[in-house]
Amino acid sequence: MPAELVIETQALCKVFGNQKALDDVSLAIAPGAIGLLGPNGAGKTTFMKCLLQLQPLTSGSAKLLGREVGAEGREIRKRVGYTPELDCHIPGMAGCEYVTYCAQLCGLPFQVGRQRAHEMLDFVGMGQERYRKIDTYSTGMKQRLKLAQAIVHDPEIVFLDEPANGLDPKGQGQILELVQSLWRAYGITVVLSSHMLQDVELICEQIIIIARGRVLVHDSLANLKARRRGSAEVVVPGRHEELEAACARRQWPCELLPNGHVKVGHRADSLNPLLEMLHQIQLAPLEIIPSPNALEETFVQALEISHAAA
Amino acid sequence: MPLHDVNYKHWRGAHLGVWSRRRAIAWNGLTACLQVRWMMNLVVLCWGLGLAAAAVLFMAGQLLVADSAVVQWVSNFNPMLQMFAKSLTGWLTDHPEISVGTTQNVLFYFIGSWLMRVSIFALGPIIPLLITRDLACNAIVIYSSKAVTRGDYLLGKFATAFGFLALTWLGPVCAAWFLGNLLAPDWTFFWHARLALENLLIYGLSSMAVLSVLALGVSALSANEKSTTAFWFMWWILGGVIVPIGQHTRPWLCHLSFGFNINQIALHTFRVAENIRKAEESIPILSTMAGGLKPATRAALESPNLAGTGLALLVMLCLAAWVVHQRVKPE
Repeated sequence: MPAELVIETQALCKVFGNQKALDDVSLAIAPGAIGLLGPNGAGKTTFMKCLLQLQPLTSGSAKLLGREVGAEGREIRKRVGYTPELDCHIPGMAGCEYVTYCAQLCGLPFQVGRQRAHEMLDFVGMGQERYRKIDTYSTGMKQRLKLAQAIVHDPEIVFLDEPANGLDPKGQGQILELVQSLWRAYGITVVLSSHMLQDVELICEQIIIIARGRVLVHDSLANLKARRRGSAEVVVPGRHEELEAACARRQWPCELLPNGHVKVGHRADSLNPLLEMLHQIQLAPLEIIPSPNALEETFVQALEISHAAA
Repeated sequence: MPLHDVNYKHWRGAHLGVWSRRRAIAWNGLTACLQVRWMMNLVVLCWGLGLAAAAVLFMAGQLLVADSAVVQWVSNFNPMLQMFAKSLTGWLTDHPEISVGTTQNVLFYFIGSWLMRVSIFALGPIIPLLITRDLACNAIVIYSSKAVTRGDYLLGKFATAFGFLALTWLGPVCAAWFLGNLLAPDWTFFWHARLALENLLIYGLSSMAVLSVLALGVSALSANEKSTTAFWFMWWILGGVIVPIGQHTRPWLCHLSFGFNINQIALHTFRVAENIRKAEESIPILSTMAGGLKPATRAALESPNLAGTGLALLVMLCLAAWVVHQRVKPE
């Protein structure tokens, strides 16, 4: 892990009335593409807002880019970008004016801000519509604009709250491709909050799973996948009972899924024991999917733990 | 073609200071204000009134020159008027502090007060542009996520309202003062009229500051544009209705009107009644002319005790600050 951490929190708590939105969150996060996962109301947005000082902390401490949150607001936010989940724009402005204005609010001179606004609008794929009033934009355009305003001042870290919300699949793919490039090609740390597991899996290297205000998992995606190695979905043309019986003899958990696949917990790092068993019972599979939805399983498992604890 | 074939570029320049960000907020607000329908026309009207005031000052200045075109023109109507004009000119020339200083002081009280009403009217349509729209569109979240604090945001918005009033009030009256004295028969007019300018600035700047804070408070009341504009006009108009009632029943009621309180500041600053009395004492002919003033008018022009006004404005400002504090939050 690099010596410099982008986010450090110690026993971070945020309470709304009698409800704990964040409960004793302690994290040390290195630069990279970080996925913040959790169901609705888990505390993902509150966590980001606390770091950005949009919400005051109830207790605990936090550092963002090595600076104390709460003490150096302006200095921190000069180096941070944020795309809120909800539509937030300044009405009556054209897209390029808005992004230029956002650059000025971060301390860029007007001329530089205007030039960068156009560059960022090109980057997010906006054409002549940048000269139209924002009020007339479609959801997709607004999402692109939100991304442009978040990166116009060249931040070191950018917080993206559900950036692909409300987009069609093509639009989602384009936005996610852009977000992916921010870290991989340009070295900007990305904190992506989403409940879309496949989006996070596509972009992020580090995963934080939050539920009921508590951090349940913080690990790399590779480690999370490795944790779940040992299960596979087997697609067979019938003979399910035979496969289930063979699994039972080996005391492997086995489950027939609604889609007709058979999920087998073979408890090994490789698929060899499973292939050997299939060979023994002379069953030729149509397909074997190793570690299916590893992240999803971890996510669901973590949530179950959370619910059980509650 | 991939979507992001235009590469991202890093920027490693120096950031500007916080005042440039506050200025950006103010400038952006002011630009938006001037884009409101008819607003440019209103601003032009205010400057036109300022020019008209300069013309009045020019005419008044010409009365001090015996052979001026104005005196000649007046004399053409009646030979008696010529005598009167010449004797008046003589008196006025002997007492420049009265003829220039006091005259301009009284004139600027009326010009300033009248133009302030136009400015208060013009503030109505721009009230929603201060905070209301930002509340409606969650723009507060965007501001809060940038390198500005809530204080910077409010300072920028205050500067927007203040700047707008400077455009509709301070600019025109100062231009009137400058042009009026520039076109006067003598450069010493600038010196003799300095008190009028000083009073203008004291009254104008304090009133503009008060009105700006009140406008911010009203603007933060609701996220509905029509509601905030309606509230501003209703407060102003109802205040105007309450004042004559309050004067005959309960005087404290008058202080519910911010327009009344601001006029009290003007009366206190310009000391109109005192100035008229001083002029009457120094130039007897003016005493005859001012003798036509009704006692009620004289009483209305008397310099008021500012305690009630101060308290009322303090309460209004505190209320406005409380509303802004409660409403202007990222969430």
